[in-house]
Amino acid sequence: MSIEVRGVGKRYGDFVALDDINVSLPTGQLTALLGPSGGGKSTLLRIIAGLETADSGSVEIEGVDATKLPPQKRNVGFVFQHYAVFKHMTVAKNVAFGLEIRKRPKAEVKAKVAELLELVHLSQFAHRLPSQLSGGQRQRLALARALAVEPSVLLLDEPFGALDAKVRKELRDWLRRLHDDVHVTTVFVTHDQEEALEVADEIVVINEGRIEQIGSPDQLYDEPANDFVMGFLGAVTQLGPVRLRPHDIEVAVQPGVPGAAAGVVQRALRVGFEVRLTVDVEGQAEPALVVLSRAHARALDLELGSRVWLSPTTGATSVPLLGEVSA
Amino acid sequence: MTDTLVAPTGPARPTRRSSGLFRLTPTSGIGLGVALVWFSVLVLLPLAAVVGAAAAGGWGAFWNTLTDAQTFAALRLTVVEAALVTVVNAVIGTVVAWVLVRDKFFGKRILDVVIDIPFALPTIVAGLVLLTLYGPESPVGINIVNTREGIFLALLFVTLPFVVRTVQPVLIELDADVEEAAASLGASRFTTFRRIILPSLVPAITAGSSLGFARAISEFGSLVLISGNTPYQTEVASLKILKFIEGDNQAGAAAVAVLLLLVAIVTIVVLDLVARRVARRG
Amino acid sequence: MADTRQIRARKGPVTYALRFFVIAYLAVLVVWPLWEVTSRTFAPVERGAEGGFSAFLERLQDPTVTYAFSLTATCAFWAVLINTVFGVGISLLITRYNFPGRRILSVLIDLPMSVSPVVVGLALVLAYSSGQGWFGGALESAGIFIIGSTPGMIMATAFVSLPLVIREVVPVLEEIGIDSELAASSLGANGWQIFRRITLPSIKWAVVYGVVLSLARSLGEFGAVKIVSPGAALRGETATILIQNRYTNFEEPTAYAAAFVLVLASVLALVVVSLIRKEDHS
Repeated sequence: MSIEVRGVGKRYGDFVALDDINVSLPTGQLTALLGPSGGGKSTLLRIIAGLETADSGSVEIEGVDATKLPPQKRNVGFVFQHYAVFKHMTVAKNVAFGLEIRKRPKAEVKAKVAELLELVHLSQFAHRLPSQLSGGQRQRLALARALAVEPSVLLLDEPFGALDAKVRKELRDWLRRLHDDVHVTTVFVTHDQEEALEVADEIVVINEGRIEQIGSPDQLYDEPANDFVMGFLGAVTQLGPVRLRPHDIEVAVQPGVPGAAAGVVQRALRVGFEVRLTVDVEGQAEPALVVLSRAHARALDLELGSRVWLSPTTGATSVPLLGEVSA
Repeated sequence: MTDTLVAPTGPARPTRRSSGLFRLTPTSGIGLGVALVWFSVLVLLPLAAVVGAAAAGGWGAFWNTLTDAQTFAALRLTVVEAALVTVVNAVIGTVVAWVLVRDKFFGKRILDVVIDIPFALPTIVAGLVLLTLYGPESPVGINIVNTREGIFLALLFVTLPFVVRTVQPVLIELDADVEEAAASLGASRFTTFRRIILPSLVPAITAGSSLGFARAISEFGSLVLISGNTPYQTEVASLKILKFIEGDNQAGAAAVAVLLLLVAIVTIVVLDLVARRVARRG
Repeated sequence: MADTRQIRARKGPVTYALRFFVIAYLAVLVVWPLWEVTSRTFAPVERGAEGGFSAFLERLQDPTVTYAFSLTATCAFWAVLINTVFGVGISLLITRYNFPGRRILSVLIDLPMSVSPVVVGLALVLAYSSGQGWFGGALESAGIFIIGSTPGMIMATAFVSLPLVIREVVPVLEEIGIDSELAASSLGANGWQIFRRITLPSIKWAVVYGVVLSLARSLGEFGAVKIVSPGAALRGETATILIQNRYTNFEEPTAYAAAFVLVLASVLALVVVSLIRKEDHS
């Protein structure tokens, strides 16, 4: 295990930021800490980096107890949401900083900097100041700077949060590929479930200072431990006694399926290739949301006021209403 | 935090943007004319008169005045004292700003007000205030009257706020992330200060120091009571000008004055350059 | 907020050493001398003589002292009035109108802050004194005497405090932009209406702030006024000149009393300034 977090707690006054967190992250894995803002995920990352001290519990990095170590001694690379580049240094100097602190020979520093700038595609900007770079370029610079010291773990705090949507998507793909090349144990914090599902090997869902679930993207999506995880990872609707995803509902225009709930189509909204239905289900306060393909909707000949019968598709992911954990 | 009485944050220049500005109307044109006439009458013409008086006797006379042994000694003393004070202020001013921004202790707000007092006090009062503690009737037995140390102390007093007040806002705005980044890259607190924080403060320290230097070169009021005006010993440039005026040597006074004017203009130019460099770095 | 970061909150021996140093430095340089001047103001002149507040008041009621303060007040009043009108006008012109030389003017406006007060005095003498001034002869034949009389002292005071209002108003005018003025203009408001109803309310506090700064600076001006004034008791002796004259004539109690009044005025200005800052930010 590269990172072992045991029983970590942290409070700010009355506010409980983290409550008895236990998690172990294997070497070489790309892990996402996913959760809503203020849920404690950034605090956990900063405790691992030594930028905050936990009130209780311990942090072990590469088998060494790091609980009491200052950030300087942990050999972690940290990447900030707002880049935190050294504005008065050139791009190359930024990357060289950690190596110079470690008093590496000049030739070695030079070679390493050149290698890293190549890796993050910034070689031609080596002698520019950070102010001459775009946001995406600055974040790649910050990443190169963190990787230069060959950290045992790489920690990224909302690394793409300050970038616009298009650049964010590019950098996300690029981070995945980079990780496949470099294989450094990586933890990144995000509140964007799509980002986590797309990039991470494993996702730790954190909410209100507690871990809700740990698992692979597929596990989380298919077998959410509870209502919160299910809701956080995608759209959720209610059908009878369970909550499930709107595309996991089968629509029939005639009764027949055992246990199907009858209802009336209240609204139909076409968005691109899909159709979103709002169905008033008998005996249910909340209307159910259903998503189906446009072709399917046309085949069923649905319109406002149509009577429909809804049932979960076979193998649908669902959690019981109000229930914490499905049996 | 930054209630400065005379904010030394450098001149308030309008931006270069000229689009979106109105064109002069007849009314505003007259306003501009009146303003320019008044500005000329009050500032430009008198300053031109100084330059004219200095140039009246030709380059030779100008040069002779400045290289006269007694005048030269006064100029040298002024520059040396001002330079010393500037160096001390660059260091101590930065330390004071650091403590006021980063440390937290009871009474810090009072210290913050104390910084402004040397600016707020009339200069002659500043001299008098220093003399009560360090003058002939000093309760601590130190008498600085008519000594170079006295001039140094007076200049230190009147220039105290410059570096502090220019560095303080920059220090407040510094990004904590950057210091955390340096720490996680292995930099000690001292290294972080030397290689990350200090370089960010250099433009502000330069700006504050040049303001302080210009002030020290031209200081008059606080030195009147302290400096004994002994030629070759404790006579500074501004007091030398006064002596020239009182001796009805207007050309001599103007020659020294032109030199002081030059320092003032160079300071303004330096500040403008620093401001632009900072703006470019973003 | 930033200072809650652990990396900045950590305190070590260096923290306490710096804190101690800064407190000691400011105490020795500013606080202790100020305390000393206060205690001397209210101290008995000699053993057994009456000290305290009544003696202080008595010294201030001397006719030469009341004359000096009323002259200082007159100079300050006119200088501040002129600077306010001129300052607001010039600020509007350089932020709202496009004309050749706009940028040079905005740089030149700052010059008076950096010019030595002695040079200011000299410049006015060289331009307007009836004996040697460029325009002295012409003014004399018109029966106008500037140097050695109150108008000259007002000009000297106005010169040194000229940029203070502009420095406060220009940044505010730049920040608010011209959008609402353009909107008012499109709704049919004329220039004066726009100024009265749109521009003035938003620069109100900046103007007040500039006025307080100018007033503080004007009350305390010494060097420039000293050179253009005859400087004798009841004849051109302002409060600051009075302090010098009395101190050098060994009438220290009166010098301390007058100085204390000016110290109070400066502290009051500091307080007002910080109150305005708060008002402006809320």
